[in-house]
Amino acid sequence: MPTRAPRIIRDSFILLTAGGVVLLGVVSGSIWLANGARASADRVQLSQQTRSHAYRLQGLAQDAETGQRGYLLTGRDSYLQPFLDAQRDLPGELAALDAALNAEGRDGEMDKAAALVRAKFAELDDTLELVRSGDRAAALAIVNSDRGRTLMDSVRAETDKIIDSSDRRVEAASRDLQDNARIQAVVSVAGGVVVVIFVAFAGWSALRYTRDLLRARGEIEALNRELEARVAARTTDLVRANDEIQRFAYIVSHDLRAPLVNVMGFTSELEEGLGAVRRFVTAPANERKGALKDDAEVAVEEDMPEALDFIRSSTRKMDRLINAILKISREGGRVLTPEDIDLGPLVEGQFQALGHQFEALGAVFHVDGELPTVVSDRLALEQVFGNLLDNAVKYLDPKRPGRVEVSARDLGSRVEVSVEDNGRGIAPQDFNRIFELFRRSGAQDRPGEGIGLAHVRTLVRRLGGEISVDSRLNHGATFRVVLPKTLSTFYAESPNA
Amino acid sequence: MPNGSPVSIVMIEDDEGHARLIERNIRRAGVSNEVLAFQSGTTAVEYLLGPDGSGEVSANRHLLILLDLNLPDMSGVDILEKVKSNANTRRIPVIVLTTTDDEREVKRCYDLGANVYITKPVNYEGFANAIRQLGLFLSVIQVPPAD
Repeated sequence: MPTRAPRIIRDSFILLTAGGVVLLGVVSGSIWLANGARASADRVQLSQQTRSHAYRLQGLAQDAETGQRGYLLTGRDSYLQPFLDAQRDLPGELAALDAALNAEGRDGEMDKAAALVRAKFAELDDTLELVRSGDRAAALAIVNSDRGRTLMDSVRAETDKIIDSSDRRVEAASRDLQDNARIQAVVSVAGGVVVVIFVAFAGWSALRYTRDLLRARGEIEALNRELEARVAARTTDLVRANDEIQRFAYIVSHDLRAPLVNVMGFTSELEEGLGAVRRFVTAPANERKGALKDDAEVAVEEDMPEALDFIRSSTRKMDRLINAILKISREGGRVLTPEDIDLGPLVEGQFQALGHQFEALGAVFHVDGELPTVVSDRLALEQVFGNLLDNAVKYLDPKRPGRVEVSARDLGSRVEVSVEDNGRGIAPQDFNRIFELFRRSGAQDRPGEGIGLAHVRTLVRRLGGEISVDSRLNHGATFRVVLPKTLSTFYAESPNA
Repeated sequence: MPNGSPVSIVMIEDDEGHARLIERNIRRAGVSNEVLAFQSGTTAVEYLLGPDGSGEVSANRHLLILLDLNLPDMSGVDILEKVKSNANTRRIPVIVLTTTDDEREVKRCYDLGANVYITKPVNYEGFANAIRQLGLFLSVIQVPPAD
């Protein structure tokens, strides 16, 4: 994609240059062809001039002969006028034809015709001289000799030759003009076609480039949106994690402080008792009686053993709490390993582990339909569903036959697995509390530290999911676990890493 | 206590050690009333409102409640709300005794009708001292007579 921007610039430059060269070719070709056309037109004009001069020369010879005949017949000067005019015009007309032929490069072509015309005019002049001098018979004899007629035929033949030759030249030049026009048309059309092709190609590559730009912009926008969504999701996660840490710190400090206060309190009580005993022991022997003796006896028999018991149980409790905190902390640091997991057998396996408890209570376990397959961490899911099933059977109501049901629902990219029981249920105000560390709900008649659900929620959140509870007190509870179908490595990363 | 009425102190405190220490220090302050210790909210609520939850069982009782907010089975705030919203128990003085000094929680407890809110000091000496002062306070407090 990044190479396309320089390419469009290079392509555009090449196309512009090529288009310019083609246009230059068309223009210079047109100029050359126009020059050719003008030359052809000049040739046509010159040949036509030559032709008319040759025709006029032929006409002069005929006029001259006509005048001679009239004069010979009538002897009147008026009939001689055409001959005189022709004789007067002859030199000019010869010079004009000569000039026209020279202009065409046809030098010498009229030599024969000029000689014949001059000979004809000389013959006519001879006869006319004889008539003027009164020898009319001699003149007629010359005419009768057919020499004049033969000369006239030759003149006509020679001038016709020049006329025909001129006609052929006009024809050839006209053909050249037509050819020229045809070539001009071909060059223009070809140049136009080439330019149209170049324009089309330039348009196509601009279109392609624009399309690429639009697609790239679309991709960037999509990436941006995705990034924003990821930042928002990550921020939500961080805010939630932060709240949880604060809550955790508060609970831990409160719950650890409670036994510590007991240790200090009963240590102080121990001192009190020790004081009573010391007062009794250090008193003179005769005074070791009455209140002094009673106090010492109560201290030794009741107060001090009680204090020691509380100190011992408090330190044991602290130990259990610290172990529980360590367990959750270790679980939080464990690296998750996503794999394909069929939730059906996994949930079944967790039920088998609790089989004897279900049996002892006569409770029923049922999986509704097929459970889906997810890509997630096996150990974490085993602990999640193990804990939920354990809780479900632990808090069944002895007043009715127990029933625990697991079902699943497809939510697109996520799945919801529900664990539903018909046990004692949870009061609505405790829906959040039960997921907090060391907090329990309802009558405290079952063993437990208040760790299980806190642990489950930590695990589910690490798997990128969420857990919630819905319950009616004395009717049962439904725990809903929403999990991503595929555990993203984003969540699989250890928070300690 | 004044009137010589037999007032019983209902102590709702999940930690047995705390309960014992509180009782001992109250006794040292000269209070000799009966102390009823409950380790869970469930049992305490059952005692106060009766198994039917009507509160009639407390109608003729002469009580004072010492309440810890952090209980494992239910929130002390929930107990406070139940007691103060029941016609039979709402006049019972409630002394909230807890480690939390969160302002919102203090305010909420007073809003719900708590009579006194005491923060347990974190060190034992402070704790013992506070309990002894509470004992002196208990020895002069006037508890409303039963209807």
